[in-house]
Amino acid sequence: MISIGKKIFLCLILLATLWSCEDTGPIPVDVDQASGGETTVYGNYISIFQQPAANLTSEEIERHRAADVAFGDQFVTSPALINAGLGPLFNQNSCESCHLSNGRSPFPTSSNDLRGLLIRLSVNGEGDHGQPLGIPGYGGQLQTKAVFGKAREAEVTWQEESHEEFYSDGKSITLTRPVFHLDNPYFDLPSDMMISPRMATPIIGLGLLEAIEDADLLSIADPDDQNRDGISGRPNLVWDVVNQKQSIGRFGWKAGNPTLLQQTAGAYNGDMGITSPLFPDENCFGQLQCDSLTDDPEINLDLLKTTAFYTQSLAVPGRRNTDDETVKRGKELFTSINCSGCHHTSFETGHHEFSFLSNQLIFPYTDLLLHDMGEGLADHRPEFMADGREWRTSPLWGIGLTHVVGGHSRFLHDGRAGSLEEAILWHGGEAQQSHDEFKSLSAADREALISFLESL
Amino acid sequence: MYKYLSFLLVTCLFIFSCNDDPVNPTDNYSSDLGNIAADVILRTYLELRTASEDLKESLAQLAATPTEQNLLEARNAWKAARSPWEKSEGFLFGPVDQQGIDPSIDSWPVNVTDLDAVLNSGETLTKSFVDGLDGTLKGFHTLEYLLYGSNGNKSASDFTARQFEYLSACGQSLAGATNQLHHSWDPNGENFIENLESAGEAGKSIYPSQKSALQEIVNGMIVIADEVANGKINDPFSQQDITLEESRFSANSKKDFADNIRSIQNIYTGKYDSPVGLGISNIIKSKNSTLDESVKQKIEAAISAIESIEGTFTFAIFNAPQSVTFAQTKVRDLQQALESEVLPIITNL
Repeated sequence: MISIGKKIFLCLILLATLWSCEDTGPIPVDVDQASGGETTVYGNYISIFQQPAANLTSEEIERHRAADVAFGDQFVTSPALINAGLGPLFNQNSCESCHLSNGRSPFPTSSNDLRGLLIRLSVNGEGDHGQPLGIPGYGGQLQTKAVFGKAREAEVTWQEESHEEFYSDGKSITLTRPVFHLDNPYFDLPSDMMISPRMATPIIGLGLLEAIEDADLLSIADPDDQNRDGISGRPNLVWDVVNQKQSIGRFGWKAGNPTLLQQTAGAYNGDMGITSPLFPDENCFGQLQCDSLTDDPEINLDLLKTTAFYTQSLAVPGRRNTDDETVKRGKELFTSINCSGCHHTSFETGHHEFSFLSNQLIFPYTDLLLHDMGEGLADHRPEFMADGREWRTSPLWGIGLTHVVGGHSRFLHDGRAGSLEEAILWHGGEAQQSHDEFKSLSAADREALISFLESL
Repeated sequence: MYKYLSFLLVTCLFIFSCNDDPVNPTDNYSSDLGNIAADVILRTYLELRTASEDLKESLAQLAATPTEQNLLEARNAWKAARSPWEKSEGFLFGPVDQQGIDPSIDSWPVNVTDLDAVLNSGETLTKSFVDGLDGTLKGFHTLEYLLYGSNGNKSASDFTARQFEYLSACGQSLAGATNQLHHSWDPNGENFIENLESAGEAGKSIYPSQKSALQEIVNGMIVIADEVANGKINDPFSQQDITLEESRFSANSKKDFADNIRSIQNIYTGKYDSPVGLGISNIIKSKNSTLDESVKQKIEAAISAIESIEGTFTFAIFNAPQSVTFAQTKVRDLQQALESEVLPIITNL
C-alpha cells in the first residue's frame, strides 16, 4: 500500500514537472515532445526536415552528409562520365526533385510540372508474389518524362470535383478532389486499367518506423475487429526482394515495401529509371521504348545503402506549443473521438542495425496498418493485401510543419486536401465514426483538434 | 516531516526543471533580420537577375555575331552571373527550393548525351522549348559546357550554328528562372522577404519567432560551409577525379568556392557591398565578442586560403595537394565554429 503522504508527494512532483516550464527548452516537459526519441531536434523553420538525427556519432554524421549528397544527385542519360543511367523513362532525375526540402510534395502546377506526383498502374490480377499486375507496354507506374528522343508514356491531366459537407452547427465546407486522366498515351491503354495517384511523402523518421518490431505491429492489428470499435487494422504482407520471402509492409501509401533499402531501390527504378542489384531490370523492360544497353545494374549496392541511410538518419522534429491549453484540449479530443484508433500514438522501437534507431520511445501517430478509408478516398487499385479502399495510416509527426517546410498545405495521397481540416473530413470507412464525431464537435473543439495536429 | 520534505523537493523541481533562461522581452532582432533579408538576400537575387539578363544579351549577341570577342564577352558575362548565384548558396531556403527553381539554374552534371541529341534534332530551339527540359540540359553548367567546351579551349569557330541558337535560348531560360527567383522574394512580387522581416508575427510570417528565422539562416550558412569543404572540394580531391569538379570547364571552381564563403560573410556581417550592415555578427557580438571576431577571421582565412590554391583547382588537386588541404581545413574550421559555437547561441536566444 502507498500511503496518502506518498501519493500527494508523487502528484505534486508530477504537477511540478508538467507545469514548471513555460518555454520549449531543449529538455522536453511532456515526454511526447520528443516525437523521435533521442533523434529529435527542435525548431520551426524550412530546413527542419533536413537535420541529421540528434543522436548520431561523428562518424554517422559524416556518413549522413555523404548520403545527403547522394539524395540530391541528378542522373543523366547514358553514356555519361558520372551519374549515368537516367531513364530512358522516368518521373524525375533525383530523389530531391520529388521530396522537396524532404517534405510533402506540393500539388502539381501543370501537366508539365507534376512535382512529386506519380501514377501507379495495373490491371486485374496479381503477379507471382501477390504484387499488382502491370499494364503491358507500361508496367506498374506511369513515367511522365523520357530522355530526349523517347516519348513520355502519357500526359497526366485532371479535373476538379467538389461537394459540400456540413458540420452539426450548420457551417459548411467545400471539399475538392482531382480526378486524373491519362491523355495522349504513347500506346493503347487497356479498358480495365486501374490508376492510383501518389504524392511524395515527408521522409523524416523512416528509420524509426523500420525499427518497430513486427510483433508490436501484429499486437495492435485487429483484422476481424474483435474489439468491435469499427476499426480493423491489418498489416500488408508484401514481397521482400532481398530475403525472397513475404514480409510486413511499412513504407508507401499502401505499405507496399518492407524495408527502406527496397523502398529506395524501387524509387530509383520506378521514378528515375535507375537499375540496382535489387531491381536489375529497367522500368521499361520488354517495352517498345527500352534501351538496349548492357549497363545494368546502373548503381551498386553501396550507393543504394547510402541513399537509404539518408532516410534512416534524419531527425524527427519535436512538438511545439505543447503547454498551450487549446493544444492540450485538442490532444484529449484526438483520443476521445478515437483518431488514435489508427494514428497509434507511440511505440518503443526494437533492435535496428543502426543503434541510434534502437530502443527509442517514439510518437509517430501511425499503426502502419491498412484500413478501409471509405469510398471517397478509394483508388480501387489493390496492392498486395491492400484492397482498393485500404490505405496505410499515415504518420502524423511533423505534419504541423508542412506549411513551413513546403510552403503549402496539401494533404492525402493525391494532394486533394487543402488543409488539415479538409483532410480529416475526407476520412471515411473505418474512420467514419471519428469523422462524424469531429463534425459534431463545437467550432472551438474542432479548432483545438487542429491546433493539436499543428503542434505535431 | 514528510510534508516538509515533499515541499522542498517540489520546490527544487520548480527551480531546476527549466534549464533555459527565460526569453528577454527586450531582445528584438527585427533590424538584423530585416537587414539580412533586404540588404543581403534580396540584393544578391537582384544582382543575379540583372547579371543573368546581361548574360542573355551577350549570348544573343554571340549568336548574331559569332566572333572571338563576343565569345569572350559571353564568357565574362557567364562569370559575372555565376558569382551572385554562388553568393546566394548560403541561403538556399525558401522559394529557390520550394518552387523547384534551383534545378533550372544550377543542375549538375550536364546531360551531354541528351544535349547532343537535342542539337542534332530538328527541334526549334526557343526559350519555351528549353524551359520544358530537365535542369541538366540548361542553366549555368550547360551554358558553361557549351561556352568553354569540355577542355575549356573552345574557339568561336568550333561552334555550330545550332549551339549558338541553343546558347541563346538557354540564356533566355536562365534569365526567366532568376527573374522568378527575385520576384518570389521581392516585396513588390510574392514577398517571401516578409517571412524574415516580420518573423514572429502571426499571419505575416511562417516563422513563429525571430529565433526560428535566425536558426534557418545559421543552418543555411552551415550547409554551404559543409558543402564546400566536404563536397565541392573533397569529392574531386579525395577521389582524384576531375569529372567530379563542378565548374571545371570554365576553370571557375576556386571563384565558386570563394563566393560561397562570401555568401556566409555577407549573411554574417549583414553587408552585401556596403561598408556597414547588421547581421548575425551583431547578435553574436553582444553575447560573445571574442567569438564574433574569431568567426570573422575564420571567414577571411577561408576565402584567402581558397584563393591561394595554386593554379586552377583542376591543376591543384594533382599538383598542389597541400594548398587544397589547407583551404579545406580553413573551411572546416569555419564550419566547426558556426556549428558548435554560433548555432548554440542562436538556439539559446
